Amino acid sequence: MRNFFLIIRKYNFFIAFLLLQGISMYLLVNNNSYQREVVVSFSNQITGQIYAAYADVTDYLTLGITNRLLAEENARLRKADSNSFYDKSFKLIKVNDTLYKQQYEYISARVINNSYTKVNNYLTLDAGKNKGIQRDMAVISSTGVVGIVNDVSEHFCTVISVLNSKTRISSMIKKNGYFGSTVWSGGSPQTGSLLDIPSHAKVAVGDTVVTTSFSLYPQNIMVGKVAEIGTSGESFKEIKVKLSTDFQNISYVYIVRNLLKTERDTLEAKLNANDQ
Amino acid sequence: MISDILINIIRFFLLIFLQVLVLDQLEISGPVNGYFNAYLYILFILMLPVNINKLFLLFLSFITGLTIDLFTGTPGMHAAASLVIAFLRPSFLHVIAPREGYESTVRLTMQGMGGSTFLVYAGVMTFVHHLFLLLIEAFNFLNFFDLLLRVLTCSVFTMVLIVMSQILSQRSKGGAES
Repeated sequence: MRNFFLIIRKYNFFIAFLLLQGISMYLLVNNNSYQREVVVSFSNQITGQIYAAYADVTDYLTLGITNRLLAEENARLRKADSNSFYDKSFKLIKVNDTLYKQQYEYISARVINNSYTKVNNYLTLDAGKNKGIQRDMAVISSTGVVGIVNDVSEHFCTVISVLNSKTRISSMIKKNGYFGSTVWSGGSPQTGSLLDIPSHAKVAVGDTVVTTSFSLYPQNIMVGKVAEIGTSGESFKEIKVKLSTDFQNISYVYIVRNLLKTERDTLEAKLNANDQ
Repeated sequence: MISDILINIIRFFLLIFLQVLVLDQLEISGPVNGYFNAYLYILFILMLPVNINKLFLLFLSFITGLTIDLFTGTPGMHAAASLVIAFLRPSFLHVIAPREGYESTVRLTMQGMGGSTFLVYAGVMTFVHHLFLLLIEAFNFLNFFDLLLRVLTCSVFTMVLIVMSQILSQRSKGGAES
């Protein structure tokens, strides 16, 4: 019995020590800014690691979709890679070793902010001046057109989405080359309108609509498929296009750098100057 | 017994004032700043009666540390370090005691314990206290060897003051009281 009380007493001493030490630590962390900062940053590190682990798991769960998108993209690139080259084989004397000169470069970027419910929608990408992004560059995804770069900061850029009332994409029916403008005027984020296609053009539901090289996009980038054909006025059709890019589920895009853009702009600016 | 309590109360205020008004005001500027801080107030904890109730010992040490903290504006820092030596004091005294243990009348002074035993007792306690104090102040294990060096130099400084105070009190009171 005596031993029992001795143990209890010893135990009490330890408990009292821990209790008072706890009070000390509480006072320490609450009243000393440096120690509080250490504790807070340490706990932030722990929670940060937990969030990172969570993100790893969710990344893993979406691997299936990512995989499919990448496979589709590979297939598309293999089919169409000559599109990004400007043919200069008419030259009789070969100056370079290659027959082709690179015209388009693709810079991959991640979508870090995206809207699709407003009338004027924008995206934000995690690429900026540091990756050579400039205003008016085209942005595409593995499935089709996304938008045009609007503003650029050091590490980010904003993009005028296709889902924006300012959007006008010069586009054509792929099978016969009749061209018009694709616009979006609110409503479903999956449907746009192709205007200015002459009424005598033969168009069928399901035809592919792609970009022309008149606008800022490279040629033959997928815009969508013809969903519905109507008429506007006497001489033009109004075509509903089901957009190929799913703006409700977009995470990785490519920014297109046109290496010959300055040359073309200078030439066309001269033309405009002559007109005025 | 009454005088014993009175002596401890006087010693408490004397050491607190000495610590706060003299030792904490010493500032050695330059690269050795922080290497020569003495914390003499722990002498109060070291010299509490040998047969004191252990819980009361903890409580008194906590109050002592907290009082110093009030003056230095570091709530909890000295309190935590003081608690550590108060927690270790009974066990450590048990280890260094002679075979038959300390009688309840023995005084924990250089004279009462014997010079070398007192030096070991005060030295180890001072080192442990300073180690915890500086660890809590730094709150990380970066530059640990630099911190250890500071613990050693500060401990030596504190020990010099403790020994000086022992000799002084012996002389002034003719060795009758501590």
